Amino acid sequence: MIKTDLVLDAKGLACPMPIVKTKKAMSGLDSGEILEIQATDKGSTADLKAWAQSTGHRYLGTVEEGNVLKHYLRKSSEEEKEEKKHPNVMKNEELEQKIDANQDTVVLDVREAAEYAFSHIPNAKSVPLGELDEYLNELDKESEIHVVCQTGNRSDFAAQKLTAAGFKQVINIVPGMSEWTGPTGKSVN
Amino acid sequence: MTNKKVAIIASNGGLFDAYKVFNIATAAAATDQEVAIFFTFEGLNLINKEANQQLAMPEGKEHFAEGFTKANVPPIPELLAMAQEMDVKFIGCQMTMDVMGLEKEAFVDGIEVGGAVTFLEFAKDADVTLTF
Repeated sequence: MIKTDLVLDAKGLACPMPIVKTKKAMSGLDSGEILEIQATDKGSTADLKAWAQSTGHRYLGTVEEGNVLKHYLRKSSEEEKEEKKHPNVMKNEELEQKIDANQDTVVLDVREAAEYAFSHIPNAKSVPLGELDEYLNELDKESEIHVVCQTGNRSDFAAQKLTAAGFKQVINIVPGMSEWTGPTGKSVN
Repeated sequence: MTNKKVAIIASNGGLFDAYKVFNIATAAAATDQEVAIFFTFEGLNLINKEANQQLAMPEGKEHFAEGFTKANVPPIPELLAMAQEMDVKFIGCQMTMDVMGLEKEAFVDGIEVGGAVTFLEFAKDADVTLTF
């Protein structure tokens, strides 16, 4: 099961109802939150992809369970406009080479669990930004930690937070998963 | 993001016509598009308070009634209410209403009554224009 902020039951509804309900559910969420839409309308996958594209939200993916389609969307956020502050940054390509050379490279993926589920760097660990505090004790303060998110903003914030907590070598990966061309893994079918 | 505009002309009054019109309209409205529908000639049935409760299937297609129930397709008045709730603008054609001897009171609340130019004014910079 993927952790989400809201589950919308649109099972048994025909087009255009899943879209209409999605629109309503989405307006009640905050930026960056994750919506799961459960639908049985087979056209809903294509429709929700198109809907997300024209409304500016992000379609993460769909999981099929029996005859139920579970779609995951992330509400658009303004984070793209923020200025990055953490000084230690590394480009996607450099991280890819580093992982190639050393499989034990520590990578933290601070996106939401649903974003991680559909596509992530194979040896990255999922630590959503909101849960970062609970993981601090599990990490080694002296070792290199690479932090990645979708566009480098949430990871910038996480990197600052880790540094403030006493971690010595925290590196923000830019631009992040939005332009990652290296190998990826999925934790859903 | 500036909203896209969708202009629809509804000129037929059967059940299938009604679904085509209201499905596209509600889907567009749910996608943050500004929608106006111009109801003219038989299309007026779609917003007529009484007629739209019992729109006819095309002749020989009555057996689809079961399919509509099975697919859980909402009744037309429900779709209509949903469209209005999402600010889809309904324009009733004044000329057709005069010809048919119908008053504004025969139609659902919240419609605008206007002539061809009222619709054209909205449609002139529409991104999508559809006729049903």
